[in-house]
Amino acid sequence: MTRNRFIDLPLAAVAMLVYVSLYLPILLIFLLSFFSMRRGKVNWDTFSLSWYAKLLENDALGGALWNSLLVGSLAVTAAAAFATSAAILVRSRPDSHSARLLEYVIFLPFLLPPIITGLSLLIYFREAGVGRGILTITVGHTLFVSAIIYRIVLTRLNALSRNLVEAALDLGATRIQTFRFIILPNLRMPLLTGGLLAFALSFDETMITLFLSGTDATLPVRLYAMMRVGFTPTINALVTLILGFSILLTVAVALAWRRNADSARMTSGEGRT
Amino acid sequence: MDAPDTDSRHEVAGDRTPLLRIRGLGVRFQDFEAIRPLDLDVLNGEFLTVLGPSGSGKTTLLRTIAGFQQPTAGRIEFDGRDIADVPINRRPFNTVFQDYALFPHLTVRENVAFGLRVRGIARATRDARVEDALGIVELEDLGDRYPAQLSGGQQQRTALARAMICEPRLILLDEPLAALDATLRRQMQKFLKVVQRRSGITFVFVTHDQSEAITVSDRICVMRSGSIEQIGTPRDLYYRPRSRFVAAFFGASNILEPCRIESTGEDTTMVSTPFGTIRVDGPPPRVREGLALAVRPEALVPAAGDACNRIECEVVSVSFVGSETITELEHSRTRHVLTMKTRSDPSTRQPVVGSRLEVGFDAAACALVKGARE
Ligand SMILES: Nc1ncnc2c1ncn2[C@@H]1O[C@H](COP(=O)(O)OP(=O)(O)OP(=O)(O)O)[C@@H](O)[C@H]1O
Ligand SMILES: [Mg+2]
Repeated sequence: MTRNRFIDLPLAAVAMLVYVSLYLPILLIFLLSFFSMRRGKVNWDTFSLSWYAKLLENDALGGALWNSLLVGSLAVTAAAAFATSAAILVRSRPDSHSARLLEYVIFLPFLLPPIITGLSLLIYFREAGVGRGILTITVGHTLFVSAIIYRIVLTRLNALSRNLVEAALDLGATRIQTFRFIILPNLRMPLLTGGLLAFALSFDETMITLFLSGTDATLPVRLYAMMRVGFTPTINALVTLILGFSILLTVAVALAWRRNADSARMTSGEGRT
Repeated sequence: MDAPDTDSRHEVAGDRTPLLRIRGLGVRFQDFEAIRPLDLDVLNGEFLTVLGPSGSGKTTLLRTIAGFQQPTAGRIEFDGRDIADVPINRRPFNTVFQDYALFPHLTVRENVAFGLRVRGIARATRDARVEDALGIVELEDLGDRYPAQLSGGQQQRTALARAMICEPRLILLDEPLAALDATLRRQMQKFLKVVQRRSGITFVFVTHDQSEAITVSDRICVMRSGSIEQIGTPRDLYYRPRSRFVAAFFGASNILEPCRIESTGEDTTMVSTPFGTIRVDGPPPRVREGLALAVRPEALVPAAGDACNRIECEVVSVSFVGSETITELEHSRTRHVLTMKTRSDPSTRQPVVGSRLEVGFDAAACALVKGARE
């Protein structure tokens, strides 16, 4: 296709407009967490970290942050164990009906509207007599993020020669040795990538968590609650912090993703020197 | 169904004892019979090649011996004992896979050491044996590379060293040279043969390339749709094919059919064919019905007044392909087409297309085989 300046230029302008309108509010929140505004103009002389200091005084927020990190780590660990076993199972008999069914079960919570997932779990836990708290949130997040880890792990398993397991057994390894020496080392990068991505998802998850958190709120849920009481500049500071952390996570995921792709190329033997 | 082919005349090369005795072995996938019950002896220390077209069940046979595939009938005896209950990791057999299946996260050295490592062999012993194995396959200098940093031939040799390190009684190789280019392939054929002779380990080697099979094997087992068509030495199969299928597979592409036996003597048989009566040397055929006569293209010689079998033909086409000249001939009476392959020679004239030509062949240069209807 030949490039056409008369199309490219307007296209670029539209793209710019879209990006500016998307990012402007975020930029605004960022600025407002440091400066105050008067009559639609940022007053550059009013730089202060006072809103951040207020955040530190708020014990509930500290608790929420801790809850978020705790739920994220627990859910990622559980999801990694669950998704890896499922992926190995599906890989070993990809055409069986039970494998198809297992895939549906894993993908469903990811594809359903979160409100449905959250509500169903809430009803289930109530019937089962499980009180809402860290445990219930963790279960919800585990279900939600398993699909991501599963997909990434399965992709790598598929790239590995099917014969690797047979080769290991053929050379005298037991099933456990085969898993430890052959499969697991090849899943390190996919697990790291999937784990980071899953953690980022868990950290931001709000809807399912709303249904499942009792008094143990996570950071996004706490933020949501604060907004209902009234909009204070502390919220700007909080959002900026969450945003910063999310960006960090995203960068980490992107880096891990790239290294994962590199190691996958090594695995399938394409990266000859 | 045909009874499994067990003609001990061709099966036993020398007086070696069988390492594996396979009896009535069958493998079925749902309603598809990948291996029809067959008998096969693998002799101690031999280089046995399983040869056959795609889908004939070669890989399935190999996987069943290795233990990856459960047989649905029959048994495999190793050193006189049934090994049905011996799991893969306890069988003293090792496999070289078609795609090598090298562990991508381990170096060449670690790959080769794997079999010893999982057996808990002490580090010092392990290292010494790995160096020995790397020496045999000439990879001493590449021990620290990863598989992705090796050429196809080097990967192949790593896989071989890895399979040999545990001193198995049997090495199974599934088309290990298929991914290599022609030159490297020939080198590796020689190399495999040498390694096999020196180590004395029995090799069962799968290929669908008949010239490769002839080059490397002590014996060849030809498979066709899940059954063994014929087993024998390369010379046996080349000069004494027993079926039209084997004859064609080994390049005896001139099939004279139908044949009727006129008379049999001690070592010659007179056969009536559409081309006239032909004399065939060799032991008399075991069956007298449904026979065909296979003649190799290079056995035909032009204007051979002294040959005992002669056929009057018309030249249809002549193609010069370098060291050889290939002539298509049509039998004057029946319109059957024959192919003749002669050594190219600058001093003799090529046959002229459209001219008559009498071609002859020796009584020892043809074989009576089972025909198309079996
Ligand atoms: N797991 C399986 N399920 C069903 N059918 C199978 C299975 N494995 C092999 N087959 C069938 O069994 C037949 C023999 O397969 P096999 O792989 O042994 O052939 P092969 O001689 O090794 O062929 P190639 O030269 O192409 O490797 C084929 O028709 C194949 O489709
Ligand atoms: Mg095969």
